[in-house]
Amino acid sequence: MHDPLLFEQRPHWWSDRRAELSLGAVVAATLAGVVAMLVFVVVQGWPSFAHNGLAWFGSGGSVDQQIKAMFLSGETGGHYVYTFHAWALIWSTILIVGGAAALSFVSSLFVAVFVVEFAPDWMKQILHPVVRLLASVPSVIYGLLGVLVLVPFIGNHVINQADKASVSHIISLSGYSLIAGVLILTVMIAPLMISIFADGLRSVPRHWLEASQALGINRWRTFWKVGVRAARPAIVAGTVLAMARALGEAVMLAMVSGSVGFAPNPFDGLIFLYEPSRPLAPTIIQNIEGLSSPPLKHTLFAIASVLLVSAMLLSLAGWAAKQPLKRYAAA
Amino acid sequence: MRWKRLGLATALGLLFVAPASAGAKTLIGSGSSVAQPYLQALFAGYHRVKPGISFLYTADGGNAGVKDVQAGRSQFAAQTRPPLPSDGGTTYVKLFLDGLCIYVNQQNHLANMSLGELADIFTGVRTSWTQVPSSALNTTIDAVGRDSTAGTFTFFTAAVLNGQTQGSNVNTLASDGLVANAIRQDPNSIGYAGLARSKTPGIKRVSLGGVACAPQFIKSLKYPLSRFIWLVLPTASPDPDVQKFADWIRRSVPAGEIITKGGAVPAFNKTRKHRKH
Repeated sequence: MHDPLLFEQRPHWWSDRRAELSLGAVVAATLAGVVAMLVFVVVQGWPSFAHNGLAWFGSGGSVDQQIKAMFLSGETGGHYVYTFHAWALIWSTILIVGGAAALSFVSSLFVAVFVVEFAPDWMKQILHPVVRLLASVPSVIYGLLGVLVLVPFIGNHVINQADKASVSHIISLSGYSLIAGVLILTVMIAPLMISIFADGLRSVPRHWLEASQALGINRWRTFWKVGVRAARPAIVAGTVLAMARALGEAVMLAMVSGSVGFAPNPFDGLIFLYEPSRPLAPTIIQNIEGLSSPPLKHTLFAIASVLLVSAMLLSLAGWAAKQPLKRYAAA
Repeated sequence: MRWKRLGLATALGLLFVAPASAGAKTLIGSGSSVAQPYLQALFAGYHRVKPGISFLYTADGGNAGVKDVQAGRSQFAAQTRPPLPSDGGTTYVKLFLDGLCIYVNQQNHLANMSLGELADIFTGVRTSWTQVPSSALNTTIDAVGRDSTAGTFTFFTAAVLNGQTQGSNVNTLASDGLVANAIRQDPNSIGYAGLARSKTPGIKRVSLGGVACAPQFIKSLKYPLSRFIWLVLPTASPDPDVQKFADWIRRSVPAGEIITKGGAVPAFNKTRKHRKH
């Protein structure tokens, strides 16, 4: 027979203290890994920044020719060339990520409001798992749909011959375009936004909405003024997360955006949307074969460090934006 | 007790497995992604001949593969361009031939063009099909090519553009497959890819200077964009098994058949003699 007193005094092998220490060690190791990764990427990319200074972020010359010159200088064993002006890639990133985030934000907010408040129960039961499933679809599948369906459609049916001829000496309007990248990226990040927005809207206490309706205010106005306002921290969090995913998207954009280091010009009119471009992340994928060339390797790491720092700044901005909204928080 | 049993079972298992794998050897290679499909078929064919030899190949690009051989990380590399001065310490062995074909959409009537016309298209001098009369098109030319770090791009710029800069109106894609797909979907498109892509439906090959991109003209090197696929070995201490593998690819009848089936052209292989009835 066990002595109950003795049994209680013997510490369990997985005591609270041990759990605390072990989990703390795991968290510390993870943090150390993240910091080590950041330091490694920045150190590897530093020679590219050091050679170009702030001009690294500016414009000047063809970015594709600069990449080619770097690659050849490393391969032929001569003097290394480091000249690189990334503006065309940065501008493309801003346009594609910004455009997709804006489109996705508006559509996701309305869809989330509909799913949470207005959809009939049977539809909610279908929409909920479908949105979750769409949020987890690998990006390469969206890329395939883009290459096989959207890009040929834009190239053959949307862009006319006059538009193609007007810029044919500079770029080719063949469907691989800014608008293809924006549209597919919107479809990719919208389910993530809808999912987080809907979770935030569901957590709004029901009696807040009922109190508003009791004052004679209709459902739409109640939900918009009370529900959406109370869920604003979740809306900010969802937007930041979706933008971070968009910023790092490489495979799909390498397949549909055109893969030309060209900065689309809004003053070109509607053609601007059909112009090809290549953001920062796909540039790394497309030039991965050039890692054997030291100057190109450092430049690709420099691009990676810009992406990492941008993601961190985005996260920081999201946190800062949430602070004054906390007073509206539902939970 | 359970751990002891598990350990014993593992040790016994190893005793039985070890003799079966004794003498087995894995050859490590890296390099060209264009050559990868041919090599994978050749690896499988050679494994049937020499069951003790297996292969581990990483398609990290021809140039990276050469660097791997120089650093001792790989025992061999596959490359699609001829040797450069920076490839010191390595030996290039010709394996078989490939043709860099010029493809247009099936709807395009163009059947033949000169190297000069092709260079004009890819440097942005000719941007409309009206400037290439035999195409019977009056639309803009949508030129597609490969990334500037691809071995295929290096070969194309040297052989066609004579080192000139490729036009900014050329849409660059990440693989031969994407190039073939872009041409298939766009009636105004023209691009370059390996002979293996000639089986893609909806696209057709264009002759250069009256010479078709076909195995017989590639083998005789009459086709102007014929190129060798090379095996790169360390000059100082090449692995004898890799050398035997290279000899097998170059000389044997089955290897020649595998190369042909894959869409490339055997350069040195003997052919099977057919009996006369």
